[in-house]
Amino acid sequence: MKNMFQYLLNQFRIIKAVAFVTFKEWAAYRSHMLVSLLVGPVQFVVQVFIWRAVFAHRIVLNGFTLEQMITYFAVVTVINYLVMDFADWNLHMLIHTGRFVTYIVRPLSHRFFAFSQKVGHRALGFLWEFVPVYCLFFFVFHITLIPANVGWAVCSIFLGFLMAFFINYSIGILGFWLVRGEGVRRMIQIFSMLFRGVFIPLVFFPLFIQKILFFLPFQFATYVPIRVFIGSYELAGMRFGPAQIVGIQAAAVVIMYIVSGLLWRLGVKRFAGVGV
Amino acid sequence: MMTQLKIWGIAFKNALASRMAYRIDLFISAFIMLAFELIIPLVTLLIYSSGASFPGWKFHEVFLIQAVFLLSKGITFPFFAGIVWNTITQIREGTYDLLLIKPRNILFMTMLTGIDIEDLGKLLGGIAMFVYAVSLVPDPGALNWLVFVLLFVCSLMVFASFAFIMAASGFKWVGNFRVYEIFEALTHFSMYPMSIFSKGVQILITACIPLALMGFFPASLILGKSLQGLLVSLISSGFFLVFSVFFWYRMLKNYTSAGG
Repeated sequence: MKNMFQYLLNQFRIIKAVAFVTFKEWAAYRSHMLVSLLVGPVQFVVQVFIWRAVFAHRIVLNGFTLEQMITYFAVVTVINYLVMDFADWNLHMLIHTGRFVTYIVRPLSHRFFAFSQKVGHRALGFLWEFVPVYCLFFFVFHITLIPANVGWAVCSIFLGFLMAFFINYSIGILGFWLVRGEGVRRMIQIFSMLFRGVFIPLVFFPLFIQKILFFLPFQFATYVPIRVFIGSYELAGMRFGPAQIVGIQAAAVVIMYIVSGLLWRLGVKRFAGVGV
Repeated sequence: MMTQLKIWGIAFKNALASRMAYRIDLFISAFIMLAFELIIPLVTLLIYSSGASFPGWKFHEVFLIQAVFLLSKGITFPFFAGIVWNTITQIREGTYDLLLIKPRNILFMTMLTGIDIEDLGKLLGGIAMFVYAVSLVPDPGALNWLVFVLLFVCSLMVFASFAFIMAASGFKWVGNFRVYEIFEALTHFSMYPMSIFSKGVQILITACIPLALMGFFPASLILGKSLQGLLVSLISSGFFLVFSVFFWYRMLKNYTSAGG
C-alpha cells in the first residue's frame, strides 16, 4: 500500500514537472491562444443564426429545442478548450524527424510524458481560452453555462480529456508505419471531429450511422461530455442517465488506454530513427 | 506579363514535381483538403434531411452558395493563398531574406513559392459541386452567366485580399498559423443565405468585409434571388483588395529577419 502511494506520488510529481515546463513554454505564445477569443465566439454566433433560422417554424428538432441547441454549441465551444489535444501531431513529428529517439532512452514512457504535456497545455488553455470565452458567453451573450449535474459533468469532461488524448495518441502511433502520414493523420482528424459532434449533434446522422458511432471512441471525447453537461444523453435511439453514460464512457476510456498501449508495442518495434 | 506567366509555369511544375515525390500522401492530402471543405455542405444536408430548412431556401439553393464558395476557394488556395503559409513559415525560419534578394517583385515571388498543389483537391471538389448544383437550377441565361463571371472574379478578389492580410500579419505576429482559423470562422458567414443573419450582420458582410460576395451573391444571381446590397459589396471588394495590398507592403517594412 505504501509502495503504491509512493508510486502515485512520483507519477504526480512527474506530471507536475512536465506540465509546468509545458505551461511555461506555451505561455510564450499567449497571443496565439487569444485567437480563440475571436474564433470560438464567431463560430458560435454563426451557429446561433443558423439554428434560429432552422427553428423559425418548429419547436423541437431531433429532440432539441432552440434553447438547447444554442446551449449545445456554447458548450461545444468551451469544452473543446478543455479536451483539445495535439498528441497525434506531436508524436508524428517526433517520429518523422527522428527526434523520437531521445524519448526511447528516457526512463519514462512517452505516452505518460505526452499526457503530462497535455495537462500543462490545457491548464494554459483553461486560463487563456476557457475562462475568457466562458465570461464572454456570460456577459455578452447572457448564456449561463452551468451543468445540469456538476459532479457528473466534471467526471465526463475529465474522461473526455483522457479519451481525446488516447484517440490522438493512437493516431500519432500510425506514424511508425507511415513514412509521411500527415495526410492520413488529418483525414482521421476530420472524421474524428465530425463524429465527436463538434459540427452538428450526432442525432442528426441517419440511424444506422448513429448505431456505428455509438461503438466508436469519438463520441466519448466530446459528444458525451456535452450531453452530460446539458443533462440528457441520446444516440441511436438509446437514452441514458448521466451515471450510466459516464460509466460507459469510463469503460470506453479503459479500452482505448489498452488499445493505445497495444498499438504502441507494435509500432515502436518499427522505429528506426531514420531522420537522426 | 509573358515572362511572369512563364515563371509561374515553372514554379507550378516545380511544386508539382516536389509534391509528387510522395504521391500517396499528396492524393490523400488533396482528398483531405476536399473532405474538410465538405463538412459544411454535409451539415446542411443533415439539417435538411431531418425535415428542417432555412426559410425560403431549398437545399440545392444553399448547396449552390457553398459550391460557388468552394470553387472560388479552390482557385485561390492552390494558386495564391499559399502566400499565407509560405510567408509565416519563412519569416519564422528566417529564410524570407532569400526572397527579398530575388530580382522580381517580392509579392509575386512570395506567391510563386507558395503554390500549394494539395489544395487542388478543393478545386476539383468545387468544380464537381458547382456542376452538380447548377444542373439542379434553371438556366439563368447568357447575360446572367456573364455577370456571374464578373461576380466570381470579385469573389476571387475577396479571397486574395484575405490571403494578403493574413500573410501580412505574419510579419508582425510571428509564427501564428492560427490566422487560418480566424479566416475559416469569418467565412462561415459566406456559406449560408444572407437572409438568416440579422440586419447588422448583413451590413457587416456586404459593406465592411464583403464576405457575401464570396458565395452568396454569385449564387443568388444564378438562382434569380434578391441581390440587395450587391453594389455596395462590389465597391467594398475593390477597396478591400487595395487595402490588403497596401497593408501587405506596409507590414513588409516590419520584417526584421528575426529567425535567421
